[in-house]
Amino acid sequence: MAAVGRVAGGSLNRSGRRTGLLLALPAILIFALLFVAPLCTLVANSFRTQTGAFTLDNYQRFLGDPFYRDVLWNTLKVAALTTIGCLVVGYPFALYLRGRSPRVRNWLALLLLSPLLISMVIRAYGWLVVLGPQGPVAAVIEWFGLTPPQLLYNDTAVLIGMVHVMLAYMVLPLMGSLDRIDRTLVPAARGLGASGWTCFWRITLPLSAPGMLAGAMIVFSLTASSFVTPAILGGPKVKLMPYFVYTQATVTLDWPYAAAIGFVLVVVTTGLLLAYSRLLRRGGGEVVFG
Amino acid sequence: MTRLTALLGGAFAVLVGLFLIAPVAVTVASSLTTTAYVTFPPQGITLRWYAEVFQKPEFLSSFALSVGVALGAAAVSAVAGLAGGLAIHRYRFPGRAALEAVLSSAFAVPTIVLGIGLLQWFAQMGLASSPFTLLLAHLVLTVPYAVRLVLAGLAGLDRSAEKAAAGLGAPPFAVFWHVTLPAVRGALIGGAFFAFITSFDDLTVALFVVTTDLQTLPVRIFNYMQYDYDPTVTAIGTLMVLFAVVAVVVIERFVGVARLFGADRDQQ
Repeated sequence: MAAVGRVAGGSLNRSGRRTGLLLALPAILIFALLFVAPLCTLVANSFRTQTGAFTLDNYQRFLGDPFYRDVLWNTLKVAALTTIGCLVVGYPFALYLRGRSPRVRNWLALLLLSPLLISMVIRAYGWLVVLGPQGPVAAVIEWFGLTPPQLLYNDTAVLIGMVHVMLAYMVLPLMGSLDRIDRTLVPAARGLGASGWTCFWRITLPLSAPGMLAGAMIVFSLTASSFVTPAILGGPKVKLMPYFVYTQATVTLDWPYAAAIGFVLVVVTTGLLLAYSRLLRRGGGEVVFG
Repeated sequence: MTRLTALLGGAFAVLVGLFLIAPVAVTVASSLTTTAYVTFPPQGITLRWYAEVFQKPEFLSSFALSVGVALGAAAVSAVAGLAGGLAIHRYRFPGRAALEAVLSSAFAVPTIVLGIGLLQWFAQMGLASSPFTLLLAHLVLTVPYAVRLVLAGLAGLDRSAEKAAAGLGAPPFAVFWHVTLPAVRGALIGGAFFAFITSFDDLTVALFVVTTDLQTLPVRIFNYMQYDYDPTVTAIGTLMVLFAVVAVVVIERFVGVARLFGADRDQQ
């Protein structure tokens, strides 16, 4: 506790260094032993055979197999579609929120955030019921005299579930961006004769771009690497990378190959994120990551 | 024109609201069905499936395990987060840059990759699955949040208040206790709360660490759903929703939910 007490002094001298190190020690230990070491083990194992000899086989197998290339492609496709879905639903919703009284806003924001507090497994299960053969969607379709199609265990089911999980991550940065827009700009443009549409296209949309881009980045990367919702709503039929990491590790028990798939996932998602943020920086956009 | 757009906007917001509550509302409603399979709208009303939950000891023990691990994760994250945040914000020490780098990259690594990495690392170290390894695995998910929230809290703290207190003769510990700690209290409670929720909700990492005898609640539900489609899961889901509602009300009373998420948003 004496060490903690010295914070008020905050210094560069030797005792300050020691105090700092002491305070940081729990966090350093946690990250070294439970983050850095496991990731290094993973990378090392991905270059090994099941018996432990060095090999590049695991990567050759992944990149050479059209099936796994398809898995990678489908992962990126579902992530991109989820991002678009979140934008299409989230942007008008954020715009609507902007114009409301603080009271209405608070309630709608609570509604938007409340799913985050409910177990992901339970939410996915809820969609299983909603889209299932005994669910309300099938009932409505039947009421119109039609045979309901298979709504579960395909890309669409995963997409619906993922947009539901990710919507808040899109709307929050959007709201932040929209709130920063000077509220006199649109009335001024209207006064000068611009139409409502012109105002939207030339003022609101470009000025909210940073929020949109930040939201898109978060949604894309979280979706590409999410496991729970796709596993429950898509199952083995929807080919996504995280699902194959899981089955290779726990069902097939091919740990080196599971490690390789996991590492490819890390490289592809971080690579895309870095390229994206570089693109933004070059475009003069607000830097939103890293 | 403006009235029409307002009307359309309102209708759209209602639709989004319905979309947001649909899975939860349907889960809660169908937990009351008298049928042996899940259906919406529910047929008849019964509390049979709730009784069923309490007759399955494996669900109760999984719940106890999940709460225990989540409480542990919350406590450790609050302490490690406070200490780590203070260290990064106020001191220079060897390893500080590395710590910050890991802190910001921890979010970019997919949870599933952390899960399989921990599986292989624990196996290599000869660590057998136990509540303790589960807690260790969850700390990777929760500590980065806690440190970042504390850092955000410290960034908003006016150092002159601490200097004034020290200048007026307060001993260092009193300064920490009466000035610094209250300023980061919100961040600490937020960090602990998020740690609890994250740990309690986690399936992805836990799936790699659990055994058949040691399953957290999400793992138990996930495995149960693979084979059974009876409404027991909807009853458990409803109980978990109630649990979340109670948590939100408590947090709203003491901290304010909006502030909690506001602090989180700045981190994204």
